[in-house]
Amino acid sequence: MAEYIVAQEGEIPDGDRRLVQVHGREIGVFNLGGKYYALPNICIHQAGPLCTGRISGTLISNTDTNWKLQWGFEGEIVTCPWHALEFNITTGQCLAFPKRRLRSYTVKVEQGQIKLVL
Amino acid sequence: MISINTGDGRTESIRIIDVDVHVHENPKEMAPYCDMPWRKSLEMMEEEPGRYIDIPGFAPSLRLDPPFPGGATARKIFTAAQMREDLDSMGIDIGVLFPDHLLTLALLPNRDYAAAVARAYNAWLIDRWLRDNNGLRGALVAAPQDPVDAARQIERYAREPNIIGVYLPTAAVRPLYGDTWYDPLYQAAQSAGLPVLLHSVSVVHPNFPFNLQDFDTALARHTLAHPFSMIANMVSMITTGVPARFPNLKIAFCEAGISWVPFVMWRLDKEYTEQRRQIPFLEDKPSTYIRRFYYCTQPVEEPDDTHDFVSMLHLFGGEDSVMYASDWPHHDFDHPNKVLQLPLSLEAKRKLMGGNAAKLFNLQD
Ligand code: FES
Repeated sequence: MAEYIVAQEGEIPDGDRRLVQVHGREIGVFNLGGKYYALPNICIHQAGPLCTGRISGTLISNTDTNWKLQWGFEGEIVTCPWHALEFNITTGQCLAFPKRRLRSYTVKVEQGQIKLVL
Repeated sequence: MISINTGDGRTESIRIIDVDVHVHENPKEMAPYCDMPWRKSLEMMEEEPGRYIDIPGFAPSLRLDPPFPGGATARKIFTAAQMREDLDSMGIDIGVLFPDHLLTLALLPNRDYAAAVARAYNAWLIDRWLRDNNGLRGALVAAPQDPVDAARQIERYAREPNIIGVYLPTAAVRPLYGDTWYDPLYQAAQSAGLPVLLHSVSVVHPNFPFNLQDFDTALARHTLAHPFSMIANMVSMITTGVPARFPNLKIAFCEAGISWVPFVMWRLDKEYTEQRRQIPFLEDKPSTYIRRFYYCTQPVEEPDDTHDFVSMLHLFGGEDSVMYASDWPHHDFDHPNKVLQLPLSLEAKRKLMGGNAAKLFNLQD
């Protein structure tokens, strides 16, 4: 395990992300309301740069919503720019395929520094 | 070129011909190439930002779905240099250019205008995209509203070195492409040795792909739009005898994947057994002709077990007729790796990634 400083606090605006290269890997570091998450920038589908996609919420419909469409997960979903597969940034879960989840990396904030743990 | 590992420690390079990529033509830029009075119309059109294949009077579109934040990214390619750079990044050697907006050309009701738009596009494409020898090739647009004019366009540009085919706008085309109305166009294409390429798009319209307003999502409409178009037009072409009347005409079907092909092939063969006398101009069962047509991979089927794709290919001899297409930069494009990763022999990969297209388009280099 090693820690890598990838940004200073305040450098990644809330609701945005930064792409970083660590150990030959391209990783997207996201700031969601002051909490940081990191996902690999390689999509499970056709290897697209998923972390560069739009960040938004998504539509939900299930028994809890009585099968009505509802808007949810505001700001937590990143959409791969290639073919629009959606991923939950906080968990790496692919919304289309329940069995597919991205690995997510641990992010620490210490003394104003954002660090990736690999 | 893409290098692939053959598994025995060697690498082989494969040439990639991409049969379907899209340029973003814009009416104002095309206007100087357009005949009067229609030049006036093109000059007046503004492309509104954010609109995608949706310009009133040019690419009419019935937008039915409410927008939500997020989702797919719309990409557009405005210059040959930008296209070259994108194709290079995917290892694609040759790209065959199709339009964006003129995917809906068949919807324009004014015959004279539709033909003028097609002529303007062809002149603009050759002038702005096909002047350099940079691996970009183009398909002429044929306005189905005026096949005689389309035939004149084919004759005019037949010897243009980077023109390699004729694009038939297929969404909402009427009559369907089997009708003898199109014979002048087919005659010209056959004489010029240029293949015709059917390419559709999602439209909501009473003609094929037809009645898609019955579905309340773009997902459902898009699922059916392309295959409905291709199935309707293939059945039309077979049952009016296009391949019998034009035995040397090469015909390709784009952007519907390939899994619909075995279905139509067997269905037509079944009908043929019983009702052949209605189409006595066919000299053999429909599948014989269907096996001679060409097909684009995109949007490539992605079964859990990729061997299923290979089995499907064998059902209609697709190893010799299926061609890689990316559809770049559209939302449902396929990266070459998706096709290269299929469990096929090296020889079959070469055919799918470029060999079959080279055969269709007579590309030696
Ligand atoms: S590569 Fe990400 S959705 Fe296709």
